[in-house]
Amino acid sequence: MFDPEKLIRKGLPKGHFKDLVVRSLLGGTTYFVVIIAALLFGKILIDGAPVLFKAEAPFVDFEFLTSKNQTLHVFDDAQGTRHQLPASEYSAYLAKHEGVPIHNEQTYSYSGGGIAGPIAGTALLTLGSMILALFFGVSAAIYLSEYAKQSPFIHAVRLAILNLAGIPSIVFGLFGFSVFVLAVPVITATPSDRSLLTLPLFIGDYVMSFQGWNSSLMAGCATLACMILPVIITASEESLRAVPQGFRDASLAMGATRWQTIRKCVLPFSLPGILTSSLLAITRVAGETAPIMFTAAVAAKDDLPWQGLKSPFDVLSSQVQALPYHIYTLAARIPSSEFTQRAQYGSVFVFLLLVATLSLGSMILRAKLRAKLKW
Amino acid sequence: MPQADSPPTEQPHRFQKRGFSGEKAIKFFFASNAGLTIVILALIIIFLLKEGLGFFPGYQRELQVYRIAGLEFVDISRKNLTAHEQLTSVLNRAYYAEINGKCAHQMRRSQEASALFNAYTDQTGPTRDLVISNSQAEITPNPEMLAALRANFDKQKLKALASLPATPHLTANERRDLIESIRTRAIDSTDDPALVTALAEEFAAAREKQAEPLQAMRATIDTFEAAGSELSSLVSEMTESVTATKEKIQNADILEKDRKTLLAAAASAKDPAEREKLTTEAHASLADKPDVEGPIQVLLERRPDCIKTHAALQQAAAGIGSQLPAALSQPEAARLLKVARNTWPLFIADLAKTHEEINDWKHDTPVPLTTAISSFLTGKDWVTGGEWQDFYGILPLAIGSLMISIVALIIAIPSGIGAAVYVNQFASSREQALVKPVIEFIQAIPSVVLGFIGILVFGTVLRDLSMLDSLQWIPGFPIEERLNIFTAGCLLALMSIPTIFSLAEDAINNVPSAYAEASEALGASRVQTTFRVIIPAAFSGILAAILLGFGRVIGETMVVLLVAGNRIKIPDFTSGLGTFFQPAHTLTGIIAQELGEVPLGSVHYRALFVVGILLFTVVLAINATAHRFVNKMKH
Repeated sequence: MFDPEKLIRKGLPKGHFKDLVVRSLLGGTTYFVVIIAALLFGKILIDGAPVLFKAEAPFVDFEFLTSKNQTLHVFDDAQGTRHQLPASEYSAYLAKHEGVPIHNEQTYSYSGGGIAGPIAGTALLTLGSMILALFFGVSAAIYLSEYAKQSPFIHAVRLAILNLAGIPSIVFGLFGFSVFVLAVPVITATPSDRSLLTLPLFIGDYVMSFQGWNSSLMAGCATLACMILPVIITASEESLRAVPQGFRDASLAMGATRWQTIRKCVLPFSLPGILTSSLLAITRVAGETAPIMFTAAVAAKDDLPWQGLKSPFDVLSSQVQALPYHIYTLAARIPSSEFTQRAQYGSVFVFLLLVATLSLGSMILRAKLRAKLKW
Repeated sequence: MPQADSPPTEQPHRFQKRGFSGEKAIKFFFASNAGLTIVILALIIIFLLKEGLGFFPGYQRELQVYRIAGLEFVDISRKNLTAHEQLTSVLNRAYYAEINGKCAHQMRRSQEASALFNAYTDQTGPTRDLVISNSQAEITPNPEMLAALRANFDKQKLKALASLPATPHLTANERRDLIESIRTRAIDSTDDPALVTALAEEFAAAREKQAEPLQAMRATIDTFEAAGSELSSLVSEMTESVTATKEKIQNADILEKDRKTLLAAAASAKDPAEREKLTTEAHASLADKPDVEGPIQVLLERRPDCIKTHAALQQAAAGIGSQLPAALSQPEAARLLKVARNTWPLFIADLAKTHEEINDWKHDTPVPLTTAISSFLTGKDWVTGGEWQDFYGILPLAIGSLMISIVALIIAIPSGIGAAVYVNQFASSREQALVKPVIEFIQAIPSVVLGFIGILVFGTVLRDLSMLDSLQWIPGFPIEERLNIFTAGCLLALMSIPTIFSLAEDAINNVPSAYAEASEALGASRVQTTFRVIIPAAFSGILAAILLGFGRVIGETMVVLLVAGNRIKIPDFTSGLGTFFQPAHTLTGIIAQELGEVPLGSVHYRALFVVGILLFTVVLAINATAHRFVNKMKH
């Protein structure tokens, strides 16, 4: 008897079970990564958020963000009450209660006060290096996308960009140290002994001495700019190329010069894209520690970068504190205890918040950009 | 004809301005900015080489001094002494592992009880001290203040009693009694609670009992240990004399360098009087050649002594090897005993060779430059800032970097690629919208934050996990160091997963959709299509993703500097997979750690730059290979 029902396979297709296993295995690894990431940030969030936020209005503890970093003093007074005071308040306390003995005093470096210094330093480093990198990077990208034709020079430039992008950050640290800290030229009347070369300038006693900028904000900015340059160039070139060729052709056909075309018809349309991708570059610049360890950063500094200077330009030639370096110091140089946790988790939380905001901003901007610019 | 259509671009229009124009200047400006990348790359290479290349001649001179002064001669004996010490320590560890393993129960009970008591005293200590110091003061104590202090102490005591550590090996009754005895303890009592003392005594008794059958082993170890004492005193005697010679040679080197600087200054000085002055100064500072021959002859006279001592040690060691017990019952002890047994013949063979080495050694053979290079690349010690002799061998650092990368890649490759395949092939668009931003966010996390998480969170969690009884089957557990290769590897895996994920996903995405459509048209299921068609087609792209992930891992600095444990030593491979739970140091970490502390221009400073050159070369080679794979991918 012919039964058409027999032709229809009942139940699950063959191999369905295998399919399911493979799928859930792959999905499992994916969500494993997601969960691990969530757990780690949850931990930082739980321990760090109380430092920055509080229960009553205005909900944010600005003191942690705006006060300077100090040594923390922990001690008991005669009543057995425990005090935790940063160095300045500690000396005020001592002056007020003169002659009263205190007990069990302990000090914790870098753990008192806030993180205004590191935040200011990181802001200056990021600002300086992004200005440099955007200027040179966007110019280079314009050349690559608007002017360049196949030539050995372009080939060499592309190879250099590819290689620069792969160099480990610590090698950039070595490079910045040997070039910007020790070798770039400065104009001075009193060249140092280790100057590589001195050229007379015939203006008074001034000579051009290749002795470097020392460990300073300038040197750090220059090093970071070199590191981020390939990222900026690649991203900018991509946004420039995304502008349709027709815009250029139309402009050139109207008799505009190439520079006019670039300025009026290409740059304005690619600028949002360039800025969006620079937001991601900012997170990278702000987070790098290895390149600034020897070129700009200092673990402890009493003043904010712009305080105690003779002229405003001195800010460029002085060392700064930086948030990532501060976190490194907190993690590596001081033993963890209940009194240091506020500084440790607080700094990391603020830093992560900054990075998260920037990368979230770049994601949202990119989505908006995609929705808006459709040609 | 296409040629005819193309406009003649060579001939400028006659209205166009000739010569230098604003447009050309603008173009030149942009071109020079593009050229900046080449300049930066060239500067990196030039300055790394400039600072680094001076290392090899400098190191060659250091090795020469090492030989001339006789330090190398002493090191022949010292090497054997160290081997002897290590062997003794392995035997001792085996002995104690056997005893402690046999009375593990008593040991845990005793440890737990004292841990509980210590947790209590740690928390209440400061407030307790305050009460005691104030009540013992010569002046009559202020009763009000004393009461306040006491109340404070009681508060702290309650808090401490509420948060005592777990004691899984104590019975419930014992724990209750112990806590009760702590609660009712007089504030100024200095004795340990009865149970803590009792358990400690019980443990000591158990140890003694277990040590009974091992007396023969103890005696053997002691004899072996004593056999090395003669060599030890000989080495320390010789050390003193050769260090003095080395110092003399180094001082002479410094003077000679100063003299050369003065002479150079004299040659370039314009004023003849000035030149005269500098030249006389230079001649005056001419160093006397330090007397090397005298001390070296004294040293060489000790050759017979050395040989005799070594022969004695060899004789003693050969006899002892057979007296060791055949087997031990505890696994850790048995492993250590096996290690000792395996190294024993090597130790004896080394001792036998020493005789020739001592006789063949000559202090005046020059050290060629190739020795400096090869001892940098294959040297097993990175010792700096020591009083004896600095060695710059990168093997321990390279092995550390490599092992950390292996751990990181073992974790990151399956999860990164698995996630990429899942997200691209199986996930719904809602899942994609969840997973992709999370992974992108992981990429944006600064490495120093990951390092911080490793130190304060992950390392501690891992150590607590390794203490669990149910996980003791994992080799290397319980771990000795919180910060080790495995911890660093895990964090670096987290760091390289986004790189591998996004590149692998790109590669899978770039496979033409016709491939998948053709496969599905033939009746293949989704899984079959993915694994038989798409992944093979994207294979070289995925390989490139792995290589670029590897390049990122090996060049990463802050995580390994914070989390790898920073011990400059080749890991002890005898512990099998447990090797991965030992601390290590890395190529990147050493630069970050030491560059800030070395004097500019010293051999050590230059050595760090050579490490930088090496890193640069390795990472560029990896990236170049990866890009070749990417180019192959272009369909």
